Amino acid sequence: MTAYLLHLAIVAGIYIILTLSLNLIIGYAGQVSLGHAAFYGIGAYTSALMALNWHWPFPLTALGAILAAAACGLGLGLPTLRLKEDYLAVVTLGFGVIIDLVFLNLDLTGGPDGLAGIPAPNFLGLSFRAPAAYLVLVAVALFLVLIFTYRLVGSYHGRALRAIRDHETTAQVMGINTPAYKIIIFTLAAGLAGLSGALYAHYITFINPETFGLHTSILILTMAVLGGMGSIAGSVLGAVILTVLPEALREVQGYQDLVYGALLVGLLILRPEGILGKGKLSLKFLQREG
Amino acid sequence: MFFQQLINGLTTGSVYALIALGYTMIYGILGLINFAQGEIYMCGAFVAVLLLATGQVNFFLACLLGMAAAALLGVVLERVAFRPLRGSHPLVPLISAIGASIFLQSLALLLFGPNDRPFPVHFTFSSVDLAGVPVSTLQIAILVAALGFMGLLVAFVRYTTYGKAIVACALDRDTARLMGINVDRMVALTFFMGSALSGAAGIMMAIYYNATYPRMGLLPGLKAFSAAVLGGVGNIPGAILGGLLLGVAESLGAAYISSGYKDAIAFAILILVLLIRPQGILKGRGD
Repeated sequence: MTAYLLHLAIVAGIYIILTLSLNLIIGYAGQVSLGHAAFYGIGAYTSALMALNWHWPFPLTALGAILAAAACGLGLGLPTLRLKEDYLAVVTLGFGVIIDLVFLNLDLTGGPDGLAGIPAPNFLGLSFRAPAAYLVLVAVALFLVLIFTYRLVGSYHGRALRAIRDHETTAQVMGINTPAYKIIIFTLAAGLAGLSGALYAHYITFINPETFGLHTSILILTMAVLGGMGSIAGSVLGAVILTVLPEALREVQGYQDLVYGALLVGLLILRPEGILGKGKLSLKFLQREG
Repeated sequence: MFFQQLINGLTTGSVYALIALGYTMIYGILGLINFAQGEIYMCGAFVAVLLLATGQVNFFLACLLGMAAAALLGVVLERVAFRPLRGSHPLVPLISAIGASIFLQSLALLLFGPNDRPFPVHFTFSSVDLAGVPVSTLQIAILVAALGFMGLLVAFVRYTTYGKAIVACALDRDTARLMGINVDRMVALTFFMGSALSGAAGIMMAIYYNATYPRMGLLPGLKAFSAAVLGGVGNIPGAILGGLLLGVAESLGAAYISSGYKDAIAFAILILVLLIRPQGILKGRGD
């Protein structure tokens, strides 16, 4: 039982980083990425291949994963982020499909069989093979990412991003370089997704293209919308709920995507701000309307 | 070989064009990408296939009912998933559309199972010699039908009062309302028309590939959107041109470059178009 809880906590931690990274794009910059799982996959494959072929230690492979995913994010963001948000949505969706095909067709990535035997992190004389130790590793990474995102969204740059989300033209008039901001945040978010991919690969030790398809992109999107777009606490909550809920509802496994789809539409109509609203843990609903 | 691939490309391209017309009309009037267009396509195919499988319905009636079901689904979708969200941040209906798409796809998966269904009616197609190259009559039939639908749509938009009202709404919704046009009804009509075309496209592909399955709409939907962008979003002739070009490029690319990456070609073109000419080949919107 403890082992199972540890497993859930590790998976939830990885999903929280993923959701946070997507939320930076959606909730703060007002753009949408529908192929976020592709960056997750690029991170996972990069880190796994570096560890398998070159036997590099985890900090280096994780860094490689971040850089590779961020580079792809930059390459994708440059042509599309100057345009309206719809284009980014479709291009990222298409990118997800392409990356999936690349993983499937490339010899390097092992095709449909994927990569097996990815080593558990082992550095500074410490082994992170045991789940408890791995949880510590994920927790440290999550902590760093949380601090980073909190600092970022609270800074001048965070305010600039929200200004772009709320009204791009006005933001531009106020002297904010909107394309540059959007491209930088998209690159950063892709990098963070790459990090979570590395954490996933070295935990599960086996990856194949199936994990990084459209289904996962939609799952991350649902987590971000459920918790609340533009809310860090919301991302954490959304990721935890959607990690735990399917485990609790094992019998209805076939219905998962059905629920996610209905959840997305229903939430946007009934409560578009998500569970935790706009950026703060609010207890306002407890107050009486005056 | 080249000519054969060209015909293959034109056949799939004409189907992409039909779906792209739905995207482009809806984008023109609402500024919204209906990501569930691929599922509407799937719905048209399923209804026709299921009706034909009963053996009680003749082919043309089944196709008509399939298109009607797709059109109805489009209208319902607009009512449920898009109308309540009009006026919110553009991101919101976009995500809602994705949600609707996933919902419909998994609903179909639950109702009909993951397996391919063959088309229940067997046609015997012969091969015609066209300038020394054998061409299947099925391909010719699909091309003719698709071009016929496109012609009907263009005529509808250009020459009927309702068509002109749709164009007016696409140009300026507020002014159209001031002129006494019921904008909500025109939006519903746009969804109806666009979805009916997508349904027809779905039925054609169900015959062409002899397979109907819940995820069949995903890739054609995405590719048709690329086609719409290629031609210039919101532009009806652009969608047709974009669809045909994309189909041909895909078919030639699969034959001469790599068949494993066939599905990636459309997106590579999409990204290139966005880089070089984001307004599409034929600029402008409306008619």
